[in-house]
Amino acid sequence: MKARLLAITVAVLVFVPAAYSAVDAGGSMHAVKKANAGTTIVVYASGDVNVQNLWQNNIIPNFEKTNKGIYVKFVFSEHGTQDGTTLARIGAAVKGRHWPGIDLVDGGLVTTMALAGLDQPVSKATAPNIKRVNPDLLVPVKGAAIPYRGSSVVLAYDSNHVKSPPKTLQGLLDWIKANPGKFTYNSPNSGGSGYSFAETVVDSFLSPSVEKQMVNGYVPDLESNWKQGLDYLHSLNKYMFQGVYPNGNAAVLNLLAQGQLWMAPVWSDQSLSALKSGQLGSNIKLTQISNPSFTGGAAYLAVPKTAKHKKVLYKFVNYILSPTAQQMIVDVMSGFPAIDVKYMGDSIKQKFQDVSANTLRPTYSTKMGNDFKAQWQQTVP
Amino acid sequence: MVLPPVAVVAVFIGFPVGAAIAYTLGRAGGPNSTVALLAQRQHIVHHGVTTAAYREVLGNPHVRADLWATVWVTLVTIVVVVLLSWAIGLYLRLSDTRISRIVSALSVIPLFIPVVIASYAILTFYASQGFIKTLAYHLGWHSFPTLGYTLTAVAIGEIWVNVPFGVLMMSSGLNSVPNALIEAARDSGASLPRTVRSVLLPMNVIPTVIVATFTGIYVLGSFTVPYLTGPSAPNLMGVSMANFFSAFNQPQQAEVMAMIVFVLAVGIGTIYVWANVRASKRASITS
Repeated sequence: MKARLLAITVAVLVFVPAAYSAVDAGGSMHAVKKANAGTTIVVYASGDVNVQNLWQNNIIPNFEKTNKGIYVKFVFSEHGTQDGTTLARIGAAVKGRHWPGIDLVDGGLVTTMALAGLDQPVSKATAPNIKRVNPDLLVPVKGAAIPYRGSSVVLAYDSNHVKSPPKTLQGLLDWIKANPGKFTYNSPNSGGSGYSFAETVVDSFLSPSVEKQMVNGYVPDLESNWKQGLDYLHSLNKYMFQGVYPNGNAAVLNLLAQGQLWMAPVWSDQSLSALKSGQLGSNIKLTQISNPSFTGGAAYLAVPKTAKHKKVLYKFVNYILSPTAQQMIVDVMSGFPAIDVKYMGDSIKQKFQDVSANTLRPTYSTKMGNDFKAQWQQTVP
Repeated sequence: MVLPPVAVVAVFIGFPVGAAIAYTLGRAGGPNSTVALLAQRQHIVHHGVTTAAYREVLGNPHVRADLWATVWVTLVTIVVVVLLSWAIGLYLRLSDTRISRIVSALSVIPLFIPVVIASYAILTFYASQGFIKTLAYHLGWHSFPTLGYTLTAVAIGEIWVNVPFGVLMMSSGLNSVPNALIEAARDSGASLPRTVRSVLLPMNVIPTVIVATFTGIYVLGSFTVPYLTGPSAPNLMGVSMANFFSAFNQPQQAEVMAMIVFVLAVGIGTIYVWANVRASKRASITS
């Protein structure tokens, strides 16, 4: 927290002149658009080309088609190379109560912005579709960023060998013991899918209040509660594939593809992409377990406090959270809808019916997660 | 003339190493303030120094297991690489046929294959459905062990990666032994083993020491091979260090482990320096 504030303060001092010039440029651009009797909103996104494709070729053109008079200007930073300067620019503008030249942000800097208090709280948003989002996802960002897509960890299984996949965590654990050597997960420190399995097993031994505190903050005193779950994971060693936990999400996908594993936890988007490209055969199916479900993560949108045209902007946000746009997230990047699947079209309901991820169960806070990985490495293998 | 390189070494190597040593001893000020601000589970003192971080790391039985695994894999790799490269180097020195030229070309091929690709190939090759196990099965050996994800696979990978350098060093060392010496020994009635023992071996000590020490230092700090082919635990220090540094967000502990590896490498380096000094002393006596 302190580090972030420090970074932002330094950035503010350095980039204030830049921000002013940005405000000028933005202002004149706005004037031009006004002459056309339309409204322009500026979206900044960072990430890989699949994110760029989602915005530039799908969400934005479709939104502009159905909302005449609203223009969306898209600024993209590949792999987030501009995130640092953009964060500084927004930080300076919000502190100086100016328009930062950006109205909507998608990228890794969003959570930093939310925790640093640069974002418009979601409670002030006028987008009705936000109510369809799982409210738990707002907690890690202190209610200041809007989850708009997600990816969850799901259970992949080889349908040639597994006819009726387990529906609950207990069912999965029983299956693992009944089929030694046919399941494993990647070491939690090397990828999120194995991490999610380990956390899910350990969570099943925790009281809801303890788990909640671990999701929302850093409480090292509570770590002794992990012991029972970690010991249980240790007892599963002899049922794991070669007693080993491969490094990296991709290593587990490879073992699944080779038929060496019959079941494993995998990321939804990564495995859906692999299924699409043929890296995983069509015999691999995905499902979600319950009691508890695997954890997931969301990508967030941020509205800087000093963004312009908020009413139009939230119209756009509302569109992003509509079933139409959420469908694009599923189709274009094999992502996960951020809204409850019950609001989605039938095809999506079908696609995710087994995954039934109407909630993305949140994972431990970052620091808690780091300690968890360390303790797993010390106790399990 | 010497000053600019010395300055570069001092600024880009000496200074970070000094800062890292200070951090492992609990000093979080100055250049360590940023890392100390974000790290977890640190041992920090504001006056004097503390060895708490060292005590924690060395008191951790899992780290000790990793350390022993590292030492064993390093020793096995050194021995096998020296023997293999000696054998290949000797063969190339004493035989100039088409086959020997093919062998010499093949033995350096690993030099041109990225370590990531090689590690993945080794993992697949020795996996439970891999080539070796399938072959053993067809030959009637049904209980052939699966070597993928074991320390044996790590050692195989390290040997594979280090053999080309060994072969290049050994064959250039052996080639620098004058033919006249070998022929003189043979003319006086020495057998081939005797010639190798009494002429080639003593004249090729320095390349042997170089191969052994460089291989050792390389394996001590290696990451890719053990990360991809090794077991979950215990694994080599390189993997452990990376885990502590990034996944567990415990850079202080990672730096302590780096210090331990550094001390081991210094031990190996001392052997190298000692051998060189001895050789140059001998050279000055004989000349």
